[in-house]
Amino acid sequence: MSEIVLGSGIMQLLISLILVSTFLILGSTRLYSCVRAFGIQSFLLACVAGIVAYSTGKYDIYVVSILTLVIKALVIPYIFIYIIREIKVKREIALYVGISPSLIIGGILVVISYYLIRSINLIELSSFALSASMSMVAIGLFIMISRKKAIMQMLGILVMENGLFLGAISLTYGMPLLVELGIFFDVLIGALIMGIMIFRINRTFESIDTDMLKTLIG
Amino acid sequence: MTGSDLFFGLVVLFLIGAASSVVLNKKDRICSYISFISAAIASLLGIIFSFSVILGNNFVFNVSGTFLNFGFFVDKLSAFFILIISITAFAVSIYSTGYVKEYFGKKNIGYLCFLYNIFILSMVLVVSANNALMFLIVWEMMSIISYFLVVYEHEKPETRKAGFIYIVMTHIGTGFILLSFLILASGSASFSFETFRAGVLTMPPLLRDAAFLFALIGFGTKAGIVPLHIWLPYAHPEAPSNVSALMSGVMIKTAIYMLIRVSFDFLGASVLWWGVLLLIIASASALLGVMYALMEHDIKRLLAFHSVENIGIILIGVSVSMIFMSTGHPELAAFGLIAALYHTMNHAIFKSLLFMGAGSLIFSTHTKNIEEMGGLLKKMPWTGMFFLIGSIAISALPPLNGFVSEWLTFHAQLLSINLSDNITKIIVLSSGAALALTSALAAACFVKAFGISFLALPRSEHARNASEAPGSMLFGMGILSLLCIALGVLSFYFLPVLDSIASPLSGASVLPKVAFDLSLAALSPQAGSISTIWIFLLLFVFVPVPFLLSLALGGRTKARTYETWGCGQPVCTARNEYTATGFSKPIRMWGSGIYRPHREIQTSYAGSPFFKERFTFDTQIEPIFEKYFYEPITRLAFFVSRILKVIQTGSIHIYLLYIFITLVIALIYVGVGG
Repeated sequence: MSEIVLGSGIMQLLISLILVSTFLILGSTRLYSCVRAFGIQSFLLACVAGIVAYSTGKYDIYVVSILTLVIKALVIPYIFIYIIREIKVKREIALYVGISPSLIIGGILVVISYYLIRSINLIELSSFALSASMSMVAIGLFIMISRKKAIMQMLGILVMENGLFLGAISLTYGMPLLVELGIFFDVLIGALIMGIMIFRINRTFESIDTDMLKTLIG
Repeated sequence: MTGSDLFFGLVVLFLIGAASSVVLNKKDRICSYISFISAAIASLLGIIFSFSVILGNNFVFNVSGTFLNFGFFVDKLSAFFILIISITAFAVSIYSTGYVKEYFGKKNIGYLCFLYNIFILSMVLVVSANNALMFLIVWEMMSIISYFLVVYEHEKPETRKAGFIYIVMTHIGTGFILLSFLILASGSASFSFETFRAGVLTMPPLLRDAAFLFALIGFGTKAGIVPLHIWLPYAHPEAPSNVSALMSGVMIKTAIYMLIRVSFDFLGASVLWWGVLLLIIASASALLGVMYALMEHDIKRLLAFHSVENIGIILIGVSVSMIFMSTGHPELAAFGLIAALYHTMNHAIFKSLLFMGAGSLIFSTHTKNIEEMGGLLKKMPWTGMFFLIGSIAISALPPLNGFVSEWLTFHAQLLSINLSDNITKIIVLSSGAALALTSALAAACFVKAFGISFLALPRSEHARNASEAPGSMLFGMGILSLLCIALGVLSFYFLPVLDSIASPLSGASVLPKVAFDLSLAALSPQAGSISTIWIFLLLFVFVPVPFLLSLALGGRTKARTYETWGCGQPVCTARNEYTATGFSKPIRMWGSGIYRPHREIQTSYAGSPFFKERFTFDTQIEPIFEKYFYEPITRLAFFVSRILKVIQTGSIHIYLLYIFITLVIALIYVGVGG
């Protein structure tokens, strides 16, 4: 019964939308829209978790879903907005790789992921979700590489985390609750620490451009 | 109380000691008393526990769960080392209550007490671990905590340097230990020590050789064998003296324990060249250790070099025993092992005693340089006496404990006459010559250390203002001094205990053949015998008899106070005294091939070249190991690092790109391959 619900089009739709939101982050030049896209992505992820919980009937996945909604879709975007407002950073993001090449590279990464996942024998939907999750990990890493502002490095790693979460929830239908709680705690604390780091970088270099960190080598 | 009550009791007490020092962090005095006294009580439990195992049954405790599978296994060998740790820790803990007063108000006492308790606990756990993974965890714990203790006075740059050398060396050692364990585990597909024994039997000889060599390098680094000893003379002097007493007295012994465990228990000591190699290294350590000690004027560095020497002597016993094992003389092997274990115990006791003595000297004179001491025997009579007892013991003079164990080691070497292979025989006998030279030089060194620091006139303002150390420090030293005497004079009571430890490892008991008075004739016709109790009586009862008789019969003599014949010199000041540099000069010349001394004399003139006002004399010896062994390695490492530095741009994006490219390539590789 669960396979029927999981295999339904709504999951496919949600996963595609998550991928689209990832491209939204990749394709925008405004910090606020990046953060908004991340919030949407996390919200969609919470929906995926909710559907998995509904179809498997496990209550602890509902908890996971709600936690995703609260922490990733509300608290973390709020931390971002707080940082952006506090340090009065320029709202535009500086790039190493332009928007159009970024989008092309993103596309190539998705293709590579799909190609790689095809070689593993999985049922249709899992394979779809796994390749989407792997594309997200790759794109998240690419965001970290190609953006100069420290905030974008933070966003990139959170996108990677979201990708891993998608993979985990759609392959295993939820890990033990204890593990999930641990991961949420990690993510939250990680976001806080990264936020503090960004403040420190800003104070030391009077900019959050990670290019400045080059001066630290001996 | 059962074994497990005692064992966990001591673990809990050490933890209480550590926890209370965290809680009472701000109250220096209470904090130090509570945590050192709980460490002392825990050590007492350790002594009882180890005796219960040595005289009774092995202690086994296992925990198995899904993720972790560990246990404690204390057999007689482990118990013996727990005994050594506990005895030393007991005395040092009492000593510490007085010693740390020096730091009150200046340093964080709670931090020191916390590390101190955990440090002793980790040593106890190292010798009772029953699983390679657990062993590595506690071993690392011990190494890292001792590192923090070494850098306790981290505001001094030389302390930080010492700490750096120590942590680098100890991690190189751990790396080799890990390799050795991985090889041993590959034979049994398990990390439990019990399965190592069986796994070794099916292992190819080459792998066994590798396991032994890696263990030798790994544990040798911790023990301080030449040429891996360089961290000792840096780390021991910089640590607080109570800690250096533990580090030098006990911590390096855990490496001896594991060497015995690996080479006898796991690998069966079955290959002749292992023993021969170890013997050569051990003899070199003994001889070079004492030679460098003679050149030192920093009292703690001097003692640290003596640790190298004594580790050499212990390992001579171990290696001779391995040679006997592999050539099929289990009784003689047991004898060699007894000598080694006895010396391990003795060294722990007298070296801790000497380090505590050195600590007292530093406590009251605030200098480590013996050239600035002098005349302290009058100011600090008790410290002086205890230091003298330690010096006599380490110089292997009868009837103290150092003498007995070195005598046994000599005998173990001389019994190699029973070997059939002539080359091995010659090697073992010439190592006997090296040991003889070592003992003589050690005696010379302690004549210097004691004579220069305690006798004659004070050489500096520091020494003039010195006063006796507090009672708790003297008490700690007193316990170990008594043990030095007891283990020497009453050694025959101790031999059956040692025999029961050594016989399971070698497979034969030597006890029936060693008589009450250490007569070894039954063991081998060439062997000699000695009675420590008669020597003791001779020295302390029969020698004084004539004096007492003359006093009794000759009536009262009158003492007259009169000036000594002054050799025409009107004044006699500290500047006329024999210096440590002067004392060691003959040996520096004799050993110039190794020392490569060079000196610099600067003369300053008062106006005309005919009137010399002042000479400055500076002599230095060349640290050959650092110059010809470590420096090339360091240079190579720097060279390679400079080349590799190109990829380290400092840009976080480039680093992420490396990860990204590696990830993509790895994924494509897997995707195409799978």
